[in-house]
Amino acid sequence: MKHFTRLAAAAALGALMGGTALAEGLYTPNLAYRTGPFAATGIPIMNGQKDYMELLNARDGGIGGVPVDFEECETGYSTEKGVECYEKTKGRAIVTQPWSTGITLQVLPKTNVDEIPILAPGYGFSPMADGKVFKWAFNTPLSYWDGASIILEYLSQQGDLKGKKVAFLHLDHPFGKEPLPYLEMKAESQGFELLPIPVGLKEMQNQSAQWLQIRRERPDYVIMWGWGAMNAGAITEAVKTKFPMENMLGVWWAGHDADLNLVGEAGKGYKSVSWSFPNPDAPIMADLQKYLVEPGNTLSNPEEMAGVFYSRGLVISMMLAEGIHVAQAHFGKGEISPSELRWGLENLNLTEERLAELGMTGMVPPFSTSCANHTGHSGGWILEWDGAKFTKASDLIMPDSAAIAELEEAKAKEYAEANAPWPMNDDCKM
Amino acid sequence: MLNEIFIKPFADMVGAPDFLLQVLWEGLVSGILYALIALGFVLIYRSSRIFNFAQGIMVVFAALTLVGLHAMGVPAWICVILTLGVMFVLAVTIERVVLRPLVGQPDIILFMATIGITLFLIGFGEIIFGGENKVMITSELGIPTDSVLLEPWGGLLILEQKDITAVVVAALLVVALLAFLNKTRMGRAIRALGDDHQAALSVGISLQTIWVLVWFIAGIIALVTGIAWGARAGVSFALEVIAYKALPVLMLGGLESITGAIVGGLMIGMLEKLFEIYWGQPLLGGNTETWFAFMLALIVLLFRPQGLFGERIIERV
Repeated sequence: MKHFTRLAAAAALGALMGGTALAEGLYTPNLAYRTGPFAATGIPIMNGQKDYMELLNARDGGIGGVPVDFEECETGYSTEKGVECYEKTKGRAIVTQPWSTGITLQVLPKTNVDEIPILAPGYGFSPMADGKVFKWAFNTPLSYWDGASIILEYLSQQGDLKGKKVAFLHLDHPFGKEPLPYLEMKAESQGFELLPIPVGLKEMQNQSAQWLQIRRERPDYVIMWGWGAMNAGAITEAVKTKFPMENMLGVWWAGHDADLNLVGEAGKGYKSVSWSFPNPDAPIMADLQKYLVEPGNTLSNPEEMAGVFYSRGLVISMMLAEGIHVAQAHFGKGEISPSELRWGLENLNLTEERLAELGMTGMVPPFSTSCANHTGHSGGWILEWDGAKFTKASDLIMPDSAAIAELEEAKAKEYAEANAPWPMNDDCKM
Repeated sequence: MLNEIFIKPFADMVGAPDFLLQVLWEGLVSGILYALIALGFVLIYRSSRIFNFAQGIMVVFAALTLVGLHAMGVPAWICVILTLGVMFVLAVTIERVVLRPLVGQPDIILFMATIGITLFLIGFGEIIFGGENKVMITSELGIPTDSVLLEPWGGLLILEQKDITAVVVAALLVVALLAFLNKTRMGRAIRALGDDHQAALSVGISLQTIWVLVWFIAGIIALVTGIAWGARAGVSFALEVIAYKALPVLMLGGLESITGAIVGGLMIGMLEKLFEIYWGQPLLGGNTETWFAFMLALIVLLFRPQGLFGERIIERV
């Protein structure tokens, strides 16, 4: 009921604000998924994203004095609905945040024509990092290939991977298959056996067959590329199968506190790579408390706000806001166009000092982008579940940039040829 | 290749019988839960010829109500009773608001109405309970959560106590349901309505009462299914998609047959696991459970269009 009251209040507030101050401003729609099988992953992230923009409006009057018109269009993680949302919002939008690798792949060619930047933080098509080919797409601060690379680097630190068997448990969906080219390449070069194990959408909560295969094959490690309900399904089966939790690592979307709460202590030792981390002492958290929590203007709750995913939502909106800020400063105006935002996103420079200014020290590794590098390749931490929460289990680990760059270039070229005539970023001379 | 298809799988089964037992057990657990969902469909179809598309979301709604009430501080078993009350109110509301005005309409209209109920319950449920994954109150309900480790033939067989509980409770529910349908007046009334609507009405059986009753029973089944599935991987709207696994069960067993739902569920549960482990994963890269049950049902339909236990309809023309 409390949830209902909050939603009703938010709807009323949204309607009121939508009709007045925020009708004009920086229109930054978010193709959100608060409903459907992936809602458990989506809700805390969407809350974090929304709260960051609401905070900028409440505290600073927006970005550069221009209010942010942050609107959600619900997709339920459905590619068809996502494309509809893109079409519906593209008229006024200065950015599109597609929120699924499937939707990203669908709108990728359209954004070239419509000239709207795609911001897909930590998801989407990994070769989007190649800004010379993908002029309008950004997947800061890490791509899926970066994530796979960091996981392999961490595993290599535990012992040589040569001769080891690595199971790759993944959602049978474009998102889940995305790191396969990189993992296959590394399996060959590093001499480990890669065992891909797909999980169908209808089997997410009943993965007994997949875990029977894991029991039979006895892999040394399980890398999990899970999203939404798949994570909880896999972790409960891992506990049931008595797979050693310390040998199971997930992508950043498989490191959600709520999924691990299902197994609690039994999940101790489970790890996840991450490019964000909550910092309860960061000044931004005090500001959120003052400007949103105390007036009752957030859909979140204290438990969620302390978690990894809410914090990631804040970081995602911060990256977008920073892109807007950089563009405003460069072009000398508040209201910016999509192409000006594209320039801003291409010139991000999030140093430790800048993160401190933003009140977000320690919440994301420093990184910068360029016209050739649309990802930033920030590096990531390995987080470990201690039975009640995620803690940092490693220092910052950098991806194998050389190996990734080679693959990115090849696959970007392949994509451009398959979608010819593909407009290249000829202005980029790097 | 012939060796991979015809010899190796069976050699693997004989070589590791404990693993085969584990596969069969996992198939049995999945199968009995598929059967439970299918039973909900069959009951409503038998009494009203309505294919209830909302059965899946009823599972989610019942489970969410249970954990939602518990989160408000209500003791676990009181939550069960209150959830049953909610499912009864839902049954009455559906009968009054949706079904009664549509009496006499073509089957497709009633089917579409159940799609409407599904969409309503998704939206209503998300507004009330939110879309986050929730922990089922397994231990609070007294369901044991440890594992039983057996060592048949010197191997290892892991049986989750909550799975054993689910199998036992589901079996008891089926027995109780069969006894209710065969031994009580109301049960016989449901069957009569399923056999011949007009004849049943002519002897004074109340359509409205029976519809409320079957939707309520479907609600009870949904609650049991929701507890069993929720105990495995949490309660979220993703549970709804599991209901689609009941469709091939219905095709295989027949839409009107309770026996068909049970046998069909168990067959599909066990065969899809056997196929996935011994043929699907080694030969096809896995994830065959997505389509295997439908293929099996399709093959059965080629030879028995009414399903294994469905009634053969012969019409004079």
